[in-house]
Amino acid sequence: MAASRPASSRPASPWAGIARRAGRRLASSLPALLGVLVLTFLLMRVLPGDPAVFFASGPNAGKAEIEEVRRQMGLDRPVPEQLVRYLGDVATGHLGRSMTTGQPVLTDLRRRLPASLELTFTALAIALALAIPLGIAAALRPGSLVDHGVRFLCALGVCVPTFVSGLLLIYVFYYLLGLAPDPTGRIDVFAATPPDITGFLLVDFALVGDGEGWRNAASQLVLPALTMALFVLAPLARITRASMLAVLGSDFIRTARSLGLPPRRVVVTYALRNAILPVLTIAGIVFSTMLGANVLVEKVFSWPGVASYALDALLASDYAPVQGFVLLMASLFVLVNLTVDVLYGLADPRISVE
Amino acid sequence: MTPTTLTRALAAAAVAATVLGGTAPARAQSRAETLRYVTGATVNTLDPTMPGTTREAFAISLSTYDRLVTFGRKQLDGNWVFDLDAIRGELAERYEVSADGLTLTFFLRKNAKFQDGTPVTAEDVKWSLDRAVSAKSLAAPQLLTGSLTSPDQFKVLDAHTIQVTLPKPDRLALPNLATVYAIIINSKAAKAHATPEDPWAQAWLKENAAGSGAYAVDVFKPGEQVVLRRNPDWTGAAPDKPAGFKRVIAQTIPDAATRANLVEKGDADIVIDLQANDAQALKERGKLTVTATPQFNAVTFVSFNTRMPPFDKPEVRQAIAAALPYDALFKAALFGRGKPLFGATWGEGDPAPTFPVAQPVSLDLAKAKKLLAEAGLPDGFSTTFSFNVGQAATAEPMAALIRESLEKIGIKVEIQKLPDAQMSTLVSEKKVPFFTEGIVAWLPSPDYFYRNFYTGNQRWNYSSIDDPEINRIAGEARFERDPAKYADAARALNRRALALMPQIPLWQANQDAVMLPTVAGYTYQFHRQVDYRDLSRK
Repeated sequence: MAASRPASSRPASPWAGIARRAGRRLASSLPALLGVLVLTFLLMRVLPGDPAVFFASGPNAGKAEIEEVRRQMGLDRPVPEQLVRYLGDVATGHLGRSMTTGQPVLTDLRRRLPASLELTFTALAIALALAIPLGIAAALRPGSLVDHGVRFLCALGVCVPTFVSGLLLIYVFYYLLGLAPDPTGRIDVFAATPPDITGFLLVDFALVGDGEGWRNAASQLVLPALTMALFVLAPLARITRASMLAVLGSDFIRTARSLGLPPRRVVVTYALRNAILPVLTIAGIVFSTMLGANVLVEKVFSWPGVASYALDALLASDYAPVQGFVLLMASLFVLVNLTVDVLYGLADPRISVE
Repeated sequence: MTPTTLTRALAAAAVAATVLGGTAPARAQSRAETLRYVTGATVNTLDPTMPGTTREAFAISLSTYDRLVTFGRKQLDGNWVFDLDAIRGELAERYEVSADGLTLTFFLRKNAKFQDGTPVTAEDVKWSLDRAVSAKSLAAPQLLTGSLTSPDQFKVLDAHTIQVTLPKPDRLALPNLATVYAIIINSKAAKAHATPEDPWAQAWLKENAAGSGAYAVDVFKPGEQVVLRRNPDWTGAAPDKPAGFKRVIAQTIPDAATRANLVEKGDADIVIDLQANDAQALKERGKLTVTATPQFNAVTFVSFNTRMPPFDKPEVRQAIAAALPYDALFKAALFGRGKPLFGATWGEGDPAPTFPVAQPVSLDLAKAKKLLAEAGLPDGFSTTFSFNVGQAATAEPMAALIRESLEKIGIKVEIQKLPDAQMSTLVSEKKVPFFTEGIVAWLPSPDYFYRNFYTGNQRWNYSSIDDPEINRIAGEARFERDPAKYADAARALNRRALALMPQIPLWQANQDAVMLPTVAGYTYQFHRQVDYRDLSRK
């Protein structure tokens, strides 16, 4: 985004305002996070289904084994005590242990979050790269064939559930054409193990300078990212169109046009920059939703992300991972909102003044 | 924009993907020596005795650890299956059973080594078996079924000989030592990681395998994949050979359709958990080997809670047994891929002294109505029929057909589909009146089935039946050493179960192992997983 416009004649830099807002936002989100924590904790315990019975499911597991699992999970104590212990654990950075994978939840989330984030970022990038030009094109000629075409594409993207479009893409590009690699996770299983630096494979391979590994990881990423991008195309393209329509009708655009500025300058520099705020808001929401809601894509493509992890845990009434996942999502949501706020400040310096 | 344009756009993207793809040169070689096994389940521990261990984890442990003995294999209807009655040495080169059946002596292979290079000694065996019966895990209750309960029963005779003594000549003592729980662990390595709170190093062994098995663990990513590397020192495969594949990749692929695609494209070597209709379709296409083995140590039941009215009346249970549309159920739920356990006729000498045995039940609505009237319920009653979400693919069509059929004799059925954890909780607490569940027995002998699934106030006694006659015969048969008398006891148990009808055995579903034609050696195993050590490439 062009941040070069000499935005204001005010002496204070926009960064000070942004930092102040960010700090206030973070502080005010703490009670919300605590609320989410307690609510999830209680909700999991209200749900029917006893994880101890489920996990003590050996061919000969009797009452003693069930009690042992219950003790291991700390479920033999009264619920208020469990809650206090849990809050204490979270405060000291422990999220408990998953019975489903046998690993500490923190380890699992740390390993799986980069997978989900990499997929979501890529999908969002693809979606934005498609949606903004489409939205602008539709807004420039409302009611035209282009506009209807975009509307149809958006409707299609929203209507087709991700697991259908995912399976369809696999069927065509892997099964029929053999163009895509097998849809099984982040990297070819026969390839050497990837470097483990940030957990983002594309970044890691680039850091160690492994071109072949990078291509491998990228080719595994294309289909799932495309599946998700198609799904979120609609809200982004529609909001771009609506916002652009409003801005294009306003006085300063008419002035700019009447002054004979080149159309490209009018649309991109003046109109788009003013129209981008609602798009940013929606992009933030879409991003948060995608992280949690891409469980079907993760399942279909065997993507080792956090959403499918949480779903498996939920089906098994495995408390710790579900609670950890919800806490993670809530924290991410706070962070995304914050980022959107910061971007607001950059796109429109008036906002940082309040 | 039309779908064609969309497809074209996608095609462009996919072309870009392939250009990005590229291929590694040395891959073909390592691909041929690698077994890629795909599954929907997860490996969650390297120690199979941990509570909550998944079946996939059993399969891994079978390859990473040795046990003293192992099951042989036999042909059953043209397929290779494990053989409970032919137990051969694994870590033991041979074993002796005393004449009274009370003492088992195992002679260890002298050249056996753990994967860290240290020799396997009788001390390691003793420590491992002590751990199995002492530590809080799933091993103790399993070994209990073979009268193995105390460390006092395991005695080191010399560095390569260990003796197991039994209080009674239990038929299942030896087979229990071949199950996944009786692993032999490198005791020195494990003790180095034991703590006062965790004397059996359970935390460490969950993440680390310290065995002498055919494969060592290279990569362990729960929920994603486990990669195993062949142990060249292991020579337990048929006469002094290491395992067939250099590398095994066991990968979790949650989506069944994707697993089917992978094996059909030749990218995966073997898969056993496809949808019944996918397996059927792949078989018809004829490109792959589809080995369909009825799971002869497992049964799918329709069970009654015999403590809950009206199912406390045997007539009601028999009425329902006469009102189930068996053939339709078998077709709708399994596409006929399995071995039916209904529609038998018991003549002279029947029932066979085995369990499960085909039952003389069939659809007969007139008989069902008559039995209901005898039970004092001529107008029927209302009840629920429950199953868990995990079984929905087979249980959902079953439930619909059962409801439809029972309506004809006046029984109104409400279908209840429950999340797995909730269903297991309700079943344990004996709160479900009428439901379908499955069982599996690693050691499929009739007394074992009846003791585990028809006696006691415990979860696996689905019907909560408590019949003095079943309790007595099953309890005695366990220690019966005379095969003829044992067969008589098994027949008596089968007859009694038919008379009481606490649950209706429906069928044994097939295990459809779908594999590339180049994969040889597949054998149906007691833990219903692939034993990677059986396999090799032609």
